[in-house]
Amino acid sequence: MTSVFRLPSRPVATTVLGLGLVGLGLGLAGSGSRLGTLIATHAPALVVFVGVIAVGDLFRLRMPSGRETAPLASASALAVAFVGTINGEAVFDIDPGLVALVVTVALALAAAVHRAQHRSPGVPQLAARLLGVGLAAVLAREVGPEGATLWDDQALEGYARGLVAVGLVGVALVAIVVELVLVSAIRAERQRSPWTAAVRDELTEAAPLTLAVVVTGPMVALMAPVLGLVALPAALVPLVMAYAAVGQFARNRATNRQLIATLSVLTEEGGYTRRLHAERVSGLAVRVGRVLGLGDRELRDIEYAALLHDLGQISLRDPIPDGATVLAAPADQRDIAAEGARIIRRAETLDVVAAYVEAQTTPYRLVRELGEPVPIGSRIIKCANAFDDLTQGSSDPARVTAALERIHLGLGYEYDPDVVDALSRVVEHSSVGRLAEEPLLAR
Amino acid sequence: MPVLGYIGVVVALAVGLLAFLIGRYGVFPTWEFAVFAVLAVGQLLAGDVVVERRVVLSFSSIVLLAGQAILGPAGAGLLGLGMGAFEGRSVPLRARVFNAAEVAIFSGLGGLAFLVAGGTADPAQLQDTSDIVFRLALPLLLADIVQFLANVLLLAGVVRVAQGVPVSVQVRTLVGSTGAAYIGYGIIAFLLVVLWRPAELGPVAVLLVLGPLLVAQWAYRQHAEELTGQGRALQVLVAAVEAKAPHLTGHSTRVAELSGHMAQHLGLRPQMVSDTRVAGMLHDLGQTSLPTALVRSGDPAADSFSTYPARGADLLRGLSFLAGALPAIEGHHTALDADDHPALPARIVGVADAYDLLTEVGTPDGLVLRRDEAIEILRGRPHVDAELLQALEASLARRIGEEVSR
Repeated sequence: MTSVFRLPSRPVATTVLGLGLVGLGLGLAGSGSRLGTLIATHAPALVVFVGVIAVGDLFRLRMPSGRETAPLASASALAVAFVGTINGEAVFDIDPGLVALVVTVALALAAAVHRAQHRSPGVPQLAARLLGVGLAAVLAREVGPEGATLWDDQALEGYARGLVAVGLVGVALVAIVVELVLVSAIRAERQRSPWTAAVRDELTEAAPLTLAVVVTGPMVALMAPVLGLVALPAALVPLVMAYAAVGQFARNRATNRQLIATLSVLTEEGGYTRRLHAERVSGLAVRVGRVLGLGDRELRDIEYAALLHDLGQISLRDPIPDGATVLAAPADQRDIAAEGARIIRRAETLDVVAAYVEAQTTPYRLVRELGEPVPIGSRIIKCANAFDDLTQGSSDPARVTAALERIHLGLGYEYDPDVVDALSRVVEHSSVGRLAEEPLLAR
Repeated sequence: MPVLGYIGVVVALAVGLLAFLIGRYGVFPTWEFAVFAVLAVGQLLAGDVVVERRVVLSFSSIVLLAGQAILGPAGAGLLGLGMGAFEGRSVPLRARVFNAAEVAIFSGLGGLAFLVAGGTADPAQLQDTSDIVFRLALPLLLADIVQFLANVLLLAGVVRVAQGVPVSVQVRTLVGSTGAAYIGYGIIAFLLVVLWRPAELGPVAVLLVLGPLLVAQWAYRQHAEELTGQGRALQVLVAAVEAKAPHLTGHSTRVAELSGHMAQHLGLRPQMVSDTRVAGMLHDLGQTSLPTALVRSGDPAADSFSTYPARGADLLRGLSFLAGALPAIEGHHTALDADDHPALPARIVGVADAYDLLTEVGTPDGLVLRRDEAIEILRGRPHVDAELLQALEASLARRIGEEVSR
């Protein structure tokens, strides 16, 4: 018998989605009757706004950690929340509900295109953006001392508008922070990592771009009385420059990762390690680290160290069977790790990575009994490497269970119990600790 | 001293232009000038963003361009004078004098172009959209172009006088590398002026426009750091080769240096010089995937040994930034004897590699040749011509020169 009232498998994402729908419903109920007139009055403005937001969402930016953001869409949506007088057009005097509707239509269009191109649009994330923008519209258009809202104040004469600009930037900042916090909650839930760590990573990585996003909406609102609808594309130019620069940096980071991955292929080509062993260990290690709440910087070092953990085998005279270090003698394991670390130290920027590689063979017992400082990265790699050596990369349940059992035998003696616990959770479900988006609705 | 003469002419031009502008249009010591002065100081402290010796984001161009509309030609000229004079750290005096005069000239000329084209930043005269286009946007675009061209010509002139590089070559390089960015600066300066004057934000406009620019600056700095990281990671590849083949310690670095210098001596383009150098550095990478015993026996006659160049190229195939180095890595081993016509970079790396093996690494039984003996042997190889050997000798002389000066 199946229960009718089943708790959703991802309550946070569902809640955000629900809130977005409720907000949209309230907005429609408030201004639904005037909808026809409003659309007729503002047709050109609506077309421009919807078009720019939708196109903006198609130009998402993949940040170095793998997170996706859509700075152009966020900034344009905020512009809709703030804009009032538009040179050559009717004054854009609409309720927050209608702002939400405009943004929803635009994001739905973009989501449809994403779907058509077989990419996940990330619907809960879009709902989070809608909630942030809706909040900004309410704060700008309906809240103010004695009924004088920031939106009304845009019409003020002279340099008092400078103050209005600062106020609008503040509102935009609140909206973006709300969006980011919601997005990180959704993400933390899906990858089952600590929420605080997800918020911290989201905010620190997004911080620089946020600075560029929050000024763009107010810029549009304040230039529109002079420039008309051109204000929106014009104000996006500085943001596009920032976008291009961040994109270039992110691509470069990706190239560097590829370069490190090339190093991991050296031992495969030489017949020392099994194909893709290093890639699998690195994937596992990063997910385990994320579940344990490690930061982006640490995760990147772990990723690199995991890719390079067998590099020391390169100068062995005879390959060890299957490259499986977990089955090699402890002294040989240590020599391999030390040789790998020595090679990696040639790049001064990779010292932390070298340290992780060097200490990957130290048993956890020494941490506990002698207080030997073994970095968390090394403990994770030790565990992930053992798992892959024992399963030989197979996802056959019997092999996975056997490997986990064998690792559990070494719990506390060989392996860090917290890491083993996280590994078990990661192995259990493929979305745990993973950044890539999975569609919530398509099930 | 033709350089001093050139600087003198430029200074005279600057003085004349500034005197004319101040006499004709006057300078009004307004608070707006003070705000721009603060901006200029901020710009001088932050500096323009340079990635791989190319300016990718020039705050100074934006500040000067906005100044031409808001402060007028005389104000913009004076602003340029100050910004040029204090640009950079540890700059020799005569360079400072030249910079001050140069920036004052192109900034003043830009301001003049703006006015002559009918430009204004007065909100009262910018009532409707056509005013914005014809009295602000287009004049600002013209000022942008004038500022850019004046800057390029004055710079190309000094490079011509000091280093003998033809003006046309220098102009083409500058236009190609920074021309497109200037369009972006023009648009940003336009936004700044619109927000400042007609939209009546005053100096707060700077805060709005500055945000995205600071982000771009941050990202470009990160980008530059990643590029450094890339170089370091290449060192790890070299270290992997040396762990596999200890007798090759130092070989990759020496071959990289020789290959780069030879490519330069033979007049290859900068990108090809860099590709050839990297190919020299990574030419032995494929040896890491051979059995250790074979590599250490140092028996180059073994059949499987000669597969290493192709193996190395295969390992690096997916890395787009190394694509230019792959043919030389793949071809260096056979380039000196092949029947067909091997490309020049492959022959360069081939010669550098063979020379270093003969004179530094030596044979397995410890035989190391002298320089002239090695060059005699190389002379006998089919694809080694006099030009290549001359480049080798010049690069070796340069190496000795650098060792002495160290």
